[in-house]
Amino acid sequence: MDKKLIPRGLQRTSFGNFLLWLFPWVALLSVGLYAIYLCLAEGLNHTNMDNRFAFGLWIYLDLTIIALGAGAFFTGFLLYILRRHELKSVINSAVVLGLICYSGAVGILMVDVGQPLRAWFTFWHPNVHSMLTEVTFCLTCYLIVLLIEYVPIVLKNRKLRQIPKFLVFEFQLHKLMPVFAGIGTFLSFFHQGSLGGLFGVLRGRPFAFREAFGIWPSTFFLFVLSAAAAGLSFVMLTTWLVQKITKKQLVKPEVFKFLGKISGIMLSVYILLKAIDTLVWINATSLSAGFPAFEFYARKSFGTWILFTEIVVLGMIPALLLTSRRMRERPKILLLAGLMACGGIMLNRFVMTIQTLALPTLPFDAFLSYSPSWEEIAAFLFVVAYGVILYSLTYRYSVIFPQERELQSPVPVQYETQPFSERVAEKFFSALTFFKAK
Amino acid sequence: MFPWVYEFHWSFGHLIFLGLFFSVLVTVVVTVIQAMQKTRKATLLNNVEKIRWHEDFEDLPLEARICRHELTGEVKHRTCDNGFDCRTCRMHPQLQLKRKAEFLQNGDANVFGFFMPNDRMYHRGHTYVKQESERTFTIGMDDFGQRLIGNAENIELPEIGTRLKVNETACTIKKLGATLRILSPIDGEVIDRFYENGDWKIIVRSDNSSLATNHLLRDAEIRPWIMREMERLQIAFATNKVGATLADGGELVPDFHKHFPKADWDGILGHMFLEA
Repeated sequence: MDKKLIPRGLQRTSFGNFLLWLFPWVALLSVGLYAIYLCLAEGLNHTNMDNRFAFGLWIYLDLTIIALGAGAFFTGFLLYILRRHELKSVINSAVVLGLICYSGAVGILMVDVGQPLRAWFTFWHPNVHSMLTEVTFCLTCYLIVLLIEYVPIVLKNRKLRQIPKFLVFEFQLHKLMPVFAGIGTFLSFFHQGSLGGLFGVLRGRPFAFREAFGIWPSTFFLFVLSAAAAGLSFVMLTTWLVQKITKKQLVKPEVFKFLGKISGIMLSVYILLKAIDTLVWINATSLSAGFPAFEFYARKSFGTWILFTEIVVLGMIPALLLTSRRMRERPKILLLAGLMACGGIMLNRFVMTIQTLALPTLPFDAFLSYSPSWEEIAAFLFVVAYGVILYSLTYRYSVIFPQERELQSPVPVQYETQPFSERVAEKFFSALTFFKAK
Repeated sequence: MFPWVYEFHWSFGHLIFLGLFFSVLVTVVVTVIQAMQKTRKATLLNNVEKIRWHEDFEDLPLEARICRHELTGEVKHRTCDNGFDCRTCRMHPQLQLKRKAEFLQNGDANVFGFFMPNDRMYHRGHTYVKQESERTFTIGMDDFGQRLIGNAENIELPEIGTRLKVNETACTIKKLGATLRILSPIDGEVIDRFYENGDWKIIVRSDNSSLATNHLLRDAEIRPWIMREMERLQIAFATNKVGATLADGGELVPDFHKHFPKADWDGILGHMFLEA
């Protein structure tokens, strides 16, 4: 039915099967839409957040998906600025993932703020001293950049390519991609950092407060590094997942190894700095605020195990696995390490949002507990369903993995260009040289 | 946000923050406008076909972009990055000098069962060029292409007076539900065209006869090229779950497609005729 829209020479499932695949996601999307409608029409009392626990599931997930979506900027930076052409085969996927993550995050933020019609206030009357203002501006600009980066992927569609202006526009935009990659890197550096800085400047919350370098607390830099590390691992994991679902090889194994290597290097740097930062916080920052650091870990639900898991289990171990060439050669270990790296960053964002708010800071404060309402969970699932649908549509009707056609070949072709006699002679002479050397 | 908006201050923080924000915004807008302007210019200058080939060529799998000098053994491995246009390739003249004498000799007209006579030169998109006089050439489809496609269901030949350019569309063929662009092997002006019983020919007057055909395959290059094309066809079929086909030593039968009605012919023909 939609065969004319599918890229030439690529195998896709039948239209009926595709609709079946989409059905549960559309159902989830509808439930999420209803929940969003309730929150917007009837107010945020549909959530379990309150004035004390103002950052709940949504902000946690915003922080997480923005970190995981960092693969878009970092892959673009490595490919277009540092010219690592190995990543050409995953850049489209990284851009689509980035777009899903960022648009999903911005969408949920609009619901979270509760007054989306007044969203322009933050632009028109910016408080330039606020980390949140920086985040808002950078997120919006980067979302625009991602949309522009997404346009050439859409225009690669077979039908759209037949329209000359679209074909040329796609070509011209593609040529200008290094400019967008540069802008994306600049914006991502600041908004990823500012999301971390947001917690680091909370002087009234000694659990999160950190010493500053210039105007930026250490969490600013830790968030940038951790996002770059997790972003690449997330690109690797999603590519693997798409390969499993479609039962096709979409990129060469070397690309997985390269993504794992760079992710491992970034994770190692991050985890080293994170360990130093934690030690400084335990021995100086927290004490100077009047709190021995281990008081923060007195409760069972947020005991020291969480710190150990974040830094050692989901930090140092995947960093070691990803930086070891021998380990990267084993696909299962590579993927497990990538999963652990992403898990570590997710845990870090959980600690920064949920644990920070749950812990009491004043003597009369109680330990707060929070569990999300069904509307909050449904709104989050809306983003997941939206992501799956957008990715599926893009995969079906455009070319996300440029090597797909080439890698579909089950026969590795061995070309023999030299005549047989020459090949024999060459081997004979090389053997002779070997004996001479002996 | 602006000096006339409430709460704006001429402070260092405001200037730096908003300065950076507006710089980013202006860069993004200017870049998009630049892309739009270039698009308009390219469309006006009629460069669409050139860009289409560039895009198609970039999307070709590496095995389809093998340099002609790899075919004849002057280099061990080389992938073409010049759109099969040896006229502007820096390496081609150097590698041409390395060519061994045996490859300068004329080959046989029968190449793995295909009729590929030596009085013609061949383009990688399966068209041939036959020189009729100093500046007049005949373009047609080679035997390999002919056997793959058979008789075309519908063909759109260029009008007389049309200017053809290398690797741009010479004509469009409809076959088995696929619309194929047949690439022009040479530059020149169409002075005549014929279509009879599925066979077509375009007569072209070339601009520059000495350089016009430098990029085309000829003589002993044809045999290794056709061998690679057979392998490419084999790969294209293998991906279409048809099973093992084209065992060594076989010949491609005429109207080949009739034997594999369920194959993805749209994809296979696109693959063989260098179209994405």
